[in-house]
This record gives sequence, structure tokens and C-alpha cells, in this order.
Amino acid sequence: MSDPDLRGALALAEYAPGEAAVLSDAERWPTIDAAGTARLTRWREHPDAPHWTHATGDRLTAEQVQRVRHPLSTDGWLVDHLAAARRTLRYRGMPTDAALDDFPTISRSDLVDDLAAFVPLDADLSRMLHGTSSGSTGAALLIPDDVEEVARGFHLLVALAASAGATVTADGERVAVANLVFQRQAFTYVSTISSFAHRAMARLNLHPTAWSGLDARARFLAEADPQILSGHPTSLAELLDAGLDAVLHPAVVFSGAMALSAALRARLHAAFECPVVDVYGLHETRPIAARTDDEPFRVLDRRVHVEVWDPRREVALPLGEMGEIVVTAGENPLLPLVRYRTGDYGRLVHLDDGVLGIADLEGRQNTRFRAGDGTLVPCVELTQHLQARGAQGWSIEQAASGRVHAVIVGGDEPAIRVALDALLGVEIELRQVERLIDLGEGKPRRYRSAVPD
Amino acid sequence: MADTEALLAAWSERSDGEAAAWARARPGPSLESVATRISRIPQEFLDERISLRALAGDILGGQISASAFDEDPRVRQGAAIGLWLVASEDVLEPLEPALASGWAALAVDALALRVAPVASPSDWTSDDERRTEAARTFLLWCGFLPAGEDAATAASLLAACDSLARNRALAEAFEGHRHRAEIARKLAEARRKEAAARYSSE
Repeated sequence: MSDPDLRGALALAEYAPGEAAVLSDAERWPTIDAAGTARLTRWREHPDAPHWTHATGDRLTAEQVQRVRHPLSTDGWLVDHLAAARRTLRYRGMPTDAALDDFPTISRSDLVDDLAAFVPLDADLSRMLHGTSSGSTGAALLIPDDVEEVARGFHLLVALAASAGATVTADGERVAVANLVFQRQAFTYVSTISSFAHRAMARLNLHPTAWSGLDARARFLAEADPQILSGHPTSLAELLDAGLDAVLHPAVVFSGAMALSAALRARLHAAFECPVVDVYGLHETRPIAARTDDEPFRVLDRRVHVEVWDPRREVALPLGEMGEIVVTAGENPLLPLVRYRTGDYGRLVHLDDGVLGIADLEGRQNTRFRAGDGTLVPCVELTQHLQARGAQGWSIEQAASGRVHAVIVGGDEPAIRVALDALLGVEIELRQVERLIDLGEGKPRRYRSAVPD
Repeated sequence: MADTEALLAAWSERSDGEAAAWARARPGPSLESVATRISRIPQEFLDERISLRALAGDILGGQISASAFDEDPRVRQGAAIGLWLVASEDVLEPLEPALASGWAALAVDALALRVAPVASPSDWTSDDERRTEAARTFLLWCGFLPAGEDAATAASLLAACDSLARNRALAEAFEGHRHRAEIARKLAEARRKEAAARYSSE
């Protein structure tokens, strides 16, 4: 991105520094103590700190702090869950004795079209946070996140670490978790975890432009030395490619959002000598399953029920057959999903210890494009710009020659052309179509690249 | 006439939710004082030749959402009665506390878009219960509890005379509009605030 005139084309308003930072620290961390405040100050004002673009906390009251430390009970959860679903506009006509088998499947487009119909009429909306999901088909989706469910996410990581033999402790001053991204523009912030002795956490963007220099990035990471590194394959790969593994000693590494290749997991495992946990989940459903090896994903012991359905018909498939993963998800009380089609594919299997597993999971993508100047551009950057300019879906392929062929559904075609030019700087053939189906049947891949990952 | 459900949907968009209205309501004039004034509405307020926009402009110094539906006689009459309540403080004497110190335009819209579509305004002057329903609704959206009542009591008494509750299909449709508008408002409000710290990628 050497042409300064093109920089404006890449400005995303919601990533402007401090754009949505409006709360006071007392609102962000209602129970914070002096030591917690000192930690915030230390990392916010650290001489090597990145350019923090945002400020955010966990917003937990003292009562909530107590509650989020423990997982929600799974005893009889499905009955209560279906009852909650019947208190939504979508399902209020269902008979009170309706069982799971009586419910049809729903998909992302149902949520895009009428999200409120899936929020219980009696939901406690004071707990609502605003989340967005980029999703796998392109159309952005607003999601009502629940403040306690989001906070409980940290303790899920600690529990998954423990089951993999790793210990995360609130003793000492190491940063508890660093959530890593690697993209040109991103929300970054430092926070403290109210339910974990106000230990620090940070969302960090590893992209060089987020720091005053590469040395500062290395020094900051070395001093923070997070106990948990969480990210997606693109950001985790950057840690290794930049040699940052030399200064980090995580107890556990988590990968999410996109498929983690066996090769990258092996590299991470070798570099950090700790468990590397690949978590499968969607923003809408919250975490569903996880694995630490090449075996099938283990469905998590939480309020989640997984089925596999025929991708084109309302038919559930038997154990072992490949189909679309359909999830009934009960961790977010503001969005009790029943039989949600994920758009991902896999087979259900019984693991040796009786736990349900998902084998041959596919659908999540991690594609990188090679820009004209040789740098690798992760697909999430293209997603940001395509969505910001209104594209509903897309299929973008890069040939070995570097030439890019892009098909977009809807959106501001001239602006998208400018953005893709600015991001990639290669020859681009862009075509606009009207409907998602014009991209092809089934679940069209959004990105393909002949550039090796 | 406008579609009844469309009027209720317009009210869902206009109001900021009943929970918020009860939360901000403070002690107000007596129920009787408001009900009595409803029954004393001057006939010229109900004259069909009078422009609702002009009337609202004169009395409130601004516009009401109900003006968009002024071809509907129910809306016209409901709004006119609400505007009379506001105007009556100049014509007769201010209530205590004064309605003008509250959310008068919102209260006028509540009569026109929330009550009038389900309880004909022509009944408000002749039927005690309908008049009570109109008076209670006006007070709530104007920001007041009837004198001597707490919020819980006032809420249950208004619910007991709510005409919408007697029409199940319409009540369900309204609940849908109300809920969708509420979720949209809450999401926008949450967006204006901040997200919460997240610990992993999805």
C-alpha cells in the first residue's frame, strides 16, 4: 500500500481509534481494585505498547463476577432451552410439549432477516452487548451478545487448558490472555478480567503498522508473556514467521475462526511445547467442539447439541454420514438457537470414551492472497472491505500468475474495485452479480488462492 | 382508514418501550383531573376540517408522528383529544404538576397510535372505562404516575383496562412489533456503547 492516495480507500470508520470508546473505567470494570487499575495503567502506557485503538472492559457486577466463574449447568438444559425458544416470536406458536424433533432447521439468513424473532420476549435486554459476525456467506449479522456469556468465555479457555493438562493461574503479573489478530485495521485494547483477580488481558494486532516498530512489538510481547495465546491461524502463523515464539512461553494456545491445518498446529506445538487447542464454534452458537490433535473434534460438555443434516433437505442424517452441521445452542440466553445450520460440513462419530465427535470438519477457511509487492494479505482483510462496501457474498480466486478473479454479490462495485486494488495491487477482473446463488450452489467458497498457505 | 396493525407498528417505532416509560414516570396529576378534561373536550377540536398538523404546530410548537396518519378518523380524534389535554392548561388552568412539563408530544402520539386504533375515541367521552384507559395512557407517556399510585399499581391498573389485551391476534401482532423495535433500539444503544472484551476468535 505505497500509494498514499489509496489509503483513504481503506479507511473503515468503525476501526477509527477510540470510535466507540464511551464508557468510564468504572463502568467497564465495576469491581476493579487498585492493583487492577495499576495493571491497566501499566499496559496502556507501556513505552512499547501498540497504538491501542479502543477501550473495553467486561462490565461485570460483583454478582456476575461470582456467576461467570462457573459453567452453566447442563442438567436438563435442553428442556429449558426449548421452553426459552418457545418464548420467541419465531416459535411461540409451537405446542408447549414440543420436543427437539418437532423443530425445523433455521439458517443464518433467518437471523439476518428477522433477528428479533429469535430473542425471547422475556429476555433481560439490559445484559445485551452488540456483536457482529462476518460469517461464512458474506452478509454481516448483528448478534445480541450476553455480558455473562462473553465473560464466561475466559473460564472456558481455562477449563479447556486444564483438560489438556495446562495450568493458567492468577498468581503473578503475566498477562492472562492475549487475543491475537493480524490485519491492517483492528480493534485493540487492554482490559482486566474481573473474575480472575483483575489480571490483565489484551487484544493485540500483530500487524506491523499497529506498533511503533518490530522491536517494540517483540519487547511488549516478551514483557506481557501471556499465559494463554488465542488467535486464528493467520495471527498464530505470524507469531512463528516473525520469530516471536522466542520470547513467549504460553501454557496453552487456542486457534479459532478458521481451519487450523495439521502442519501449522505441529509448528505451534513444536515452537511453544504446550497444548494447541483448535476450537470450532460460530459467534452465533458460541464454542461447539475442540481438539488438540488430528482426531475428530470433541463436542464440548456445555449447552450444545450437534446434529448432521442433509444440506439441501430437511432430513437429519445418521451417525457417520457426511452433511451439514446443525447446532442447538443454549449458552447465550439472548439467542437460544434451535437446529441452526452452520454452513459447515462434517460427520458425527462416537469417540472411544462415548463423547460425540465431529470428524472431517470443513468449511472454515484460511486463505491468503499475494499482493503485487509480495506481501501476504489474509482473507479477513478482504472480508472487512467487501462487507463495509455492502457486498452480500463473493467468490475471489487468485491464480498462480497472481491475477485475481472476483465475483461479488451486490455492493458498491466501483468502491470495491478501488479497495481490492489498494489491498492487493494486482490485476483484478471484477464481476458483479445479483444473487448469492449466482456464485454457485451449495456453500460456495469465498476465497481460493494458488498461493500456498 | 389505516391498517390497525400498521398504526400499532408505528407506535412501536415511536415509543422507546413501556419499561422505560414506567421507569421514568414520576408522581403526576390525579387520574380524575385528566379524565374529566377528556370528557370536556370542545367540539371544535373534533372538527374534521381542522388540520392535525396545524393544530399540533399551534399547541405543541412541533409535530407529532400521528400526523402521518391524519386521514384516519381514529387517529385524528385520538390526537385531537391529546392536544386538547395539553391546550386545556392554557384554556382552563394547569394541572399539578403541569402536563406541559412532561413529554406531551409523545403522550399525544400514544393516544392517537396506541389507544385510538383499538378503542374508538368517540367512546372516550361516553364510556368511563375507555376514558380511564385513555387518561392512564396519556399520563404514562407524558411521564407521570396518577397521583397516589406507585408504578406497579399504575401498571397493573392500566393493563386491566387495556383494550388491546382483548384482541388476541392484534395483541400478538403488536407484541411482535414492540419486541422488534425494542431489540433494534437495544442493539443500537449497545453499539453506541462498547462491546465487551473478548478472549478468543470465532
